[in-house]
Amino acid sequence: MNEQHGINAENLRAGYDKQDIIKFVNCSFPEGTFTGIIGPNGSGKTTLLKAFSRVIPSSGVLELNGKAVSEYSPAELGMALGFVPQDEGRPFSYTVMQVVLMARYARTSRFSALTPEDFARCRQALEDTGVAHLSDRSIQTLSGGEWQRVLIARALAQETRVLLLDEPTSHLDLSHQSDILSLMRNLATSGSTIIGVFHDLNMAALYCDRLIMIRDGQVVADDTPVQVLTPEKIREVYGTDVVASVHPATGRIFLMPLSTPARSIAPDKIQNILVISGGGSGTDLLHFLSRKGYSLTAGILATTDTDYLTAKSLQIPCVEVLPFSQIPAHSLAKFRTLLSQADRIVLSAHPVGTGNLSVLLALLEVDPARVIIHLTEGREFPSFDYTKGAAIAAFSELCTAGAHCTGSFNGILEFLDTESHKTCQHLEEP
Amino acid sequence: MTRTIPIFIGLTVAAILTIILCTFTGPAGFGIPAIGPGVADIIGGIRLPRVLASFFVGASLAIAGAAMQALFRNPMADPYILGTSSGGALGASLAIVFVGGFFVPVFAWIGAVVAILVVWSIAGRRGVTPVETLLLTGIAVSFFFSAIVSFLMAIAGQNVHQILFWLMGGFWNTSPFDAILAACILLPAGLLLFFMGRDLNALSLGEETAAHLGIDAKRARWAVLGGSTLLVAGAVSIAGSIGFVGLVTPHIVRMLMGPDNRIVIPACILAGGIFLALSDTIARTFFSDLPVGIITAFIGAPFFIWLIYQRGTVI
Repeated sequence: MNEQHGINAENLRAGYDKQDIIKFVNCSFPEGTFTGIIGPNGSGKTTLLKAFSRVIPSSGVLELNGKAVSEYSPAELGMALGFVPQDEGRPFSYTVMQVVLMARYARTSRFSALTPEDFARCRQALEDTGVAHLSDRSIQTLSGGEWQRVLIARALAQETRVLLLDEPTSHLDLSHQSDILSLMRNLATSGSTIIGVFHDLNMAALYCDRLIMIRDGQVVADDTPVQVLTPEKIREVYGTDVVASVHPATGRIFLMPLSTPARSIAPDKIQNILVISGGGSGTDLLHFLSRKGYSLTAGILATTDTDYLTAKSLQIPCVEVLPFSQIPAHSLAKFRTLLSQADRIVLSAHPVGTGNLSVLLALLEVDPARVIIHLTEGREFPSFDYTKGAAIAAFSELCTAGAHCTGSFNGILEFLDTESHKTCQHLEEP
Repeated sequence: MTRTIPIFIGLTVAAILTIILCTFTGPAGFGIPAIGPGVADIIGGIRLPRVLASFFVGASLAIAGAAMQALFRNPMADPYILGTSSGGALGASLAIVFVGGFFVPVFAWIGAVVAILVVWSIAGRRGVTPVETLLLTGIAVSFFFSAIVSFLMAIAGQNVHQILFWLMGGFWNTSPFDAILAACILLPAGLLLFFMGRDLNALSLGEETAAHLGIDAKRARWAVLGGSTLLVAGAVSIAGSIGFVGLVTPHIVRMLMGPDNRIVIPACILAGGIFLALSDTIARTFFSDLPVGIITAFIGAPFFIWLIYQRGTVI
């Protein structure tokens, strides 16, 4: 890629003193791309960025726009590469404009004044990042987010083809995050090379063409966001569990962290509990029971259901079906097996339609004494009836047969742990 | 800033007036005296060199202070921060105690430069030196040299008074040569720092930032340190270690004109010169030639506090 713009690194090593933080990194960043560098704290993301900008010495091949970075004069480098630091000390009370004008130092002789064009370019950069109204303010009076946007404006005013950003949105609110990242996206589209370090993996996935995941100074993944941000890789590199799904609005990959506190081991609670839920009604319940150490199964859940994602992430075996389809006979058979194996069955109030009515009907076949119905505050069963009364009829039958009812998690615990028998309370029908 | 040019005109006029006023003021009377024997000697041979020397030394300390504050990104830095004053004091004390008081300025200059070289060589041992390392090394070396000076004072006997006065700084024995020497240092070093104003601005946001903005940060740092060292060592050898001027003048200038070093440096030349020339005139006229360091702090500190009170901020 000698004739191309962008950065090319081969066998790059870099670090402080004699300790290598970056070890044999190979990657190139062609023009017109927006790449995110991700990785856990201390993995070397910032060091890599600073090695690119030459403030940390490196060995190996490092080319900028086809020329070795070491051959650039300081001023040439200032015209070829812009850098946005995470934060910058503000010991003196410069105005915003004064700070942004420093971007033009590399382009003018120290013996001459800055030109009107320099001022115009800086004003434009301040407008692009939405801080033009602050141009006469002292930088010491700015909020963290305003200051970060000023630093971005300064890098833009350098008018470089390559832009390195170290967590450019760490101090920004949601709307400014997307403003700045859209701006970077547009710069990449118009031919710039943008490289950003990100902690927010979802923001990185949303705006970057490509993600480079590093750990201990080495590249462990370098591909499109969908390929890099798999729960397996996240677990391997970050040591935490996430659920990956597709963002409904953007179509980009989207990660959600899971809070998985250590499960309490409860040898006296070795019962098998089957949770029947749907439409997200069982999410909290599954987490709650899982934390309490019960052995859980779940069903029947559509693969688009939040409850399904929860069950998957908690590694709870469940009967799954495709969304918007009738439950096939073999799935129902599997569910019946779970029903027969379960010591207790928890039915969570959820919407019932013709598709999943068969689940409720199958439940009528088991001993109602094993069944408890969880009705969260103010909710009735079914929470929505799309079956023209069939679901309500089934529910009434369940109650009359002697299934238990509770409004709280503690009520469920009581039922699961003791043999006390309460009759189903009467519930008003709609 | 629109106020910049009027303030510069005001400072220039004030500087000229100060030099004239101070030259015609002294314990021997005020005003243009009748031409007579001794008058030309007092005005031309004693007062004018002393006024000019104090003006140049004040200017030197002020711009060195401004440069150090920018370089170390610390408004509390003063020109002596890297051990110049304690090195100078050690050199002067050695001359007073062991050489019978001869060559005190030469010894002071050597001491100041040695102190800086020691700091540089310790801090710069491993290629990349953070400015913080330089700062801490400077403080440690300062204390070490000061300890030796204290030891010399303890054994100096009757010379302790001489050392004490030197430590407080003053222009008692200023010769025309001193004024010329101060000017010869101030002119090139002042021009150097003036034309490094942009580098100082960028460095004051951090060395990495400066490098990212296309500044040769390493070279700029050593140039600034070199220029400042020359200025401060010269000042120390001429007048001892006069405090407060180098710390506070840049603050006052920044309060009035903002922190852009392309403006701060030239303004500090004028403001520092005015400040020290006036202080020295007050010292020799009204306080029977007290060490001028006492006057700079005695007058400067309340003025500075008044400015802080007026503006509500320190920059």
